[in-house]
Amino acid sequence: MDTHLNHPFPPLQALTSAHLEAAARANGEPEWLVQRRKDAWECFSHAAPPEWRRTNLKGLEPETIEPFAAPQGTGILWDETLAERGIIFSSLTAAVRSHESQVRATLGTAIDPLRHKFSALRAALWQDGIFLFVPDNVSLDIPLRVCYILADGSRAIFPYSLVVLGRGAKVAFIEEFTSHDAPAPALAAPTTEIFLGEGSSLQFASIQQWGANVYHIGGQSQVFDRDATSTWVSIALGGQVQHIEAEAHLRGAGSSLTWHGATFARKQQRLLTAPLLRHTGVHTESHLDFRTIVHESGYSVFDGMITIEHASRGTVTRLEEHSIHLSPGARSDSIPGLKIDTNDVAQAGHASTSGQIDEEQLFYMQSRGISRADAMRMIVTGFFEPVFDALPLEEVRESLSAAVEANL
Amino acid sequence: MTGELVVKDVYVTVGTEQILNGVNLVVRPGTVHAIMGPNGSGKSTLANTIAGHPGYTVTSGEIWYQGQNILELEPDERSKLGIFLAFQYPVAVPGVTVANFLRAALNAHRAVEGTDPKETAVPIPEFRTMLREGMQRLEMDQAFARRYLNDGFSGGEKKRLEILQMSMLKPGLAVLDETDSGLDIDALRIVANGVNSLMALTAQSAPNARMSALVITHYQRLLNYIKPDVVSIMMDGRVVREGGPELALELEEKGYDWIRGEVVAHGE
Repeated sequence: MDTHLNHPFPPLQALTSAHLEAAARANGEPEWLVQRRKDAWECFSHAAPPEWRRTNLKGLEPETIEPFAAPQGTGILWDETLAERGIIFSSLTAAVRSHESQVRATLGTAIDPLRHKFSALRAALWQDGIFLFVPDNVSLDIPLRVCYILADGSRAIFPYSLVVLGRGAKVAFIEEFTSHDAPAPALAAPTTEIFLGEGSSLQFASIQQWGANVYHIGGQSQVFDRDATSTWVSIALGGQVQHIEAEAHLRGAGSSLTWHGATFARKQQRLLTAPLLRHTGVHTESHLDFRTIVHESGYSVFDGMITIEHASRGTVTRLEEHSIHLSPGARSDSIPGLKIDTNDVAQAGHASTSGQIDEEQLFYMQSRGISRADAMRMIVTGFFEPVFDALPLEEVRESLSAAVEANL
Repeated sequence: MTGELVVKDVYVTVGTEQILNGVNLVVRPGTVHAIMGPNGSGKSTLANTIAGHPGYTVTSGEIWYQGQNILELEPDERSKLGIFLAFQYPVAVPGVTVANFLRAALNAHRAVEGTDPKETAVPIPEFRTMLREGMQRLEMDQAFARRYLNDGFSGGEKKRLEILQMSMLKPGLAVLDETDSGLDIDALRIVANGVNSLMALTAQSAPNARMSALVITHYQRLLNYIKPDVVSIMMDGRVVREGGPELALELEEKGYDWIRGEVVAHGE
């Protein structure tokens, strides 16, 4: 089998389990991982495409995509002296060798690789990726960042972020997705699995800023042990199509999540986020605030589900969604769901608003000398302000505000 | 005179309803001109029409200020010409802080066509000082500056913020639309001081462009604190009586029915 590390695999329609196996062995991957890739590929090959009513992948032509057999763009930003405190922040391929048992114990356990065709494809083909481990009671002030970059000319990337926080660990982690506009349709299929140890605290931001023509089909999951807390910020600005299944599993007693989302869909973009929030622990708490702006012919979907499951007690949850339509051709759908399978719920609230920019707000600001265009810009960036405000890094906040303003 | 506001036979409709039926009014520079009238007489419609609210359609008439028929101007252009409306119901804009909003407004006023707005923008230290001093004068908590514009503000806080904006933008003509409604006596005093001191300031610093105020109120109460030079009474979308400060007192004593009776008796 002729497989060179830095050369792409054959196109998906010609790719076989044998190609994957040869590449994995050439990369020195352990047997269990080789087997997992093969199982996942088997699943991908035989599974029917998922029936997603609001995500259209027609333009993608995945069968002609030639995936990379090696990482193409994983940029890690951190202070390497932090390694002295026991923190591991490395490429996932390196971590498979250096911290095999830790990776093996967690990889693929929050998101079932065999859930559907695309989760299987991700598990079979990931090369880019990071492993972040923060030991017990280690607390970091400076955010750690990874930037996944689709290489020019590449038509696929399958990044994998695996994050494990020890007991009482505290960290901020930012993952960013970026590329130039892709000349041919490209597939970005990232996986993010995060495990929050007892009493740990996480600030997590996922920032999707792909260039045009990128189809993002992602899976994200956070699993909470007792008293773990997380602030999760989901930003969707780029790409052609986005379909993110994002799950938070509040299984530890007293765990809590605050989740902020900002989606800005314009031109022909179709950006979907499907959060699933599972309350299974005792006295868990969640607050979701998803904000959407649609412009030109943009289309966004919030397909959210909160489950308050049988084992839970005293759950508090509140969901807010707000959307602004800047153009008559823009659309947004919201499908909030709540399933309760217990008699013991402390509080479950929901609020939503949707509409154009308020003319009274515009008049008020104009009456102070601010032009209509500037007033609109201020109102729109102000609308995202509570989301951006939750980001752990000022420079990221500013660049996102600027990116939104530039596209108004 | 260019600093005059001249309202000439103005007719205004809102939706399909005609609200103003030929309003005539002149506000002279350096004067306080009170407009009183019962609810629904068109006072607030006049205020919003002067400021250029898009929901108010002027079907006939003219409004002149600084040598221009301002009906052709956008609300922001009117503001830059020197017109300021203190809203009866200030609008909340979540996500936009008081400080950022005020700075944007000031910079819009300072901008000069053909010049980079960065060059005319107020330097941030200077702005901070202006804001701090303005808030002190109005006895406002400094934490106000970081709050979102009118978002969750009490009625009194909103009205103080209107006066703070006025004091920073230093308009040639301030239109106060029922600024006294919902204020207790202390807040009323503070707000009135804000208006009076700004008028006194322009009387000294700009004797040729003295600020004038069009004070719209339902009650005489505010006029104890801001002394009017002229009082106009509106009814059914028109000015039906005009006089000196004594007219407000007479109105307070006899009530609006007295005016209504007079207007009918004179066949107006």
